[in-house]
Amino acid sequence: MLGYALRRLLTLVPTLLAASLLVFLFVHLIPGDPAAVLLGDSATPEEIASLTRELGLDQPLYTQYLLWLGNVLQGDFGTSIFFRVPVTSVIADGAETSILLALMTMVWIVILGVPIGVVAASYRGTWVDQVTSGGAMLFASVPTFWLGLYLILIFSVTLGWLPSSGFPSVTDDGGLANLRYLLLPSFTLAAPNAALIIRLVRASMLDVQREDHVRTARAKGLAPWKVSVKHVFRNALIAVAAAFGFTFAALVSEAVVTETVFSLPGIGRLVVQSILRRDYPVIQGVILVIVVLYMVINLLVDLAYARLDPRVSLK
Amino acid sequence: MTAILTMGRIFRGRWLATAGLCWLILIALAAIFAPLVAPYDPLEIDPLVRLSPPSLEHLFGTDHYGRDSFSRSLYGARMAIVIGIGSVVVALVAGGLAGMVSAYFSRLGHVIMRVVDVLMAFPALLLALVLMTLLERSVVNTVIVIGIVYATTTARILFGMTLKLKGEVFVDAATCSGAGHASILFRHILPNLVSPLLVQASFIFAFAQLQAAALDFLGLGLPPEVPSWGNMLSESRIYVTRASWLLLFPGALIILSVFSMNLVGDALRDSIDPRFRNDIKGV
Repeated sequence: MLGYALRRLLTLVPTLLAASLLVFLFVHLIPGDPAAVLLGDSATPEEIASLTRELGLDQPLYTQYLLWLGNVLQGDFGTSIFFRVPVTSVIADGAETSILLALMTMVWIVILGVPIGVVAASYRGTWVDQVTSGGAMLFASVPTFWLGLYLILIFSVTLGWLPSSGFPSVTDDGGLANLRYLLLPSFTLAAPNAALIIRLVRASMLDVQREDHVRTARAKGLAPWKVSVKHVFRNALIAVAAAFGFTFAALVSEAVVTETVFSLPGIGRLVVQSILRRDYPVIQGVILVIVVLYMVINLLVDLAYARLDPRVSLK
Repeated sequence: MTAILTMGRIFRGRWLATAGLCWLILIALAAIFAPLVAPYDPLEIDPLVRLSPPSLEHLFGTDHYGRDSFSRSLYGARMAIVIGIGSVVVALVAGGLAGMVSAYFSRLGHVIMRVVDVLMAFPALLLALVLMTLLERSVVNTVIVIGIVYATTTARILFGMTLKLKGEVFVDAATCSGAGHASILFRHILPNLVSPLLVQASFIFAFAQLQAAALDFLGLGLPPEVPSWGNMLSESRIYVTRASWLLLFPGALIILSVFSMNLVGDALRDSIDPRFRNDIKGV
């Protein structure tokens, strides 16, 4: 197990380096001169040239990359061209919203996905199964921003129950009650993912039900609910647990659309806005952070999976 | 004739998947005959009727420029088909080739699959977003970007399958009878991959619609003047409280099309993979 973990960790390093190079190149290929964008239409060529020098944009690309990478490894992502503050603090500002949004989304996914999936599997082939499985597929086919806009229309505009945009920090006035700002966004983000989990829980339950140990349990006369809970559900959860992890890892980037619909001050919206503002350092920093997060969470999920199912690490 | 028989076998007893197939055919017909069916020019501006609700004159109502939403939706079907088919072709050709070649020539494959790994380190939407900012907003670029995003998963899947097939006896037999690499790859291995490729294609077609709509919404997809369902939704965003029909119709079209494609994909997969057969009857 430890050997497996170390091996996986080692393969992460070259992939991360390559990803950082890709992020750097991507951002530098974006058309548009950041110095010109920053100074606006009235800037003279001299002003643009001097800002270009100040930002280090006149250096050769590989020098810029190595400088950037060296700084990043020391925790310095540079200074935002737009906000004029360190990129790390810009990202930190968005972190609270994004983390809370991701956690609340996971809560929705678990409370919706698991029970409905179990019900669908238990009533396999009946109308209950058809409605839940078909419904899940329908929800997986809905564009998230469309769902978000409709939820705003219903719960904010028509009923006036929930706020439609923004998110004041939980440390501001209102405290934890401010989480109500995230109720609609988290449901929006959860819907398509919960739909996939429903299908996965159902498929996984059905798979396990066919296994020999379940037949043995039934044959020795164990109560049906006990077979379902102890023998089927617990084993089915192994495959589902991994899916939870991968879903969580993808949430930060999927939140791009949701955060835009609900105007949330999170990392997802920061990506889109810094792209539109040509804010190179922020784009690089935030994309690198998301990619590293995504890879690390995926690695942790793999390791947890190997722990739950020892056969994996033997391969 | 055999094609019809096969279709009959795949869709027998699956009324919902059959309905999905019919819907997709309808969308395809709408796309082909849009200029004949559309009652108005999709780009024609008529300020007198701006934001008018659905009526006999304007079935889906009109938008903030007074353009007829029904006509725009018909032309939007064109974009949906173009995006779907285009992305599938890019993803399957690029991803399929990368996966097959990687599995067949293991040294070269090592390099190619590492590149795929790095691309897969980026979450799908983020990769599409970043690639889109490098390129101009156009139909072709949107297709290429979405195709590349799904080429990575396709490469992974085909890599595994080709690796398995490579060890089969019929490949050894072909080698012994003097078949070249290209012949083995494309005449002996590829035919065995057609069914999984078809299933993969149906799901890429469905997801490409959602990705394209999301890109349109963020202002990084198709050019704003192109009448696509995603652009229609994106534009109507600020008018939703006054004109909810602008949200309803294009959204419903996207959902129905994606849902239908997913149903068809499921039916295809179940007919290929016997483990899934008789799993959800009717659905």
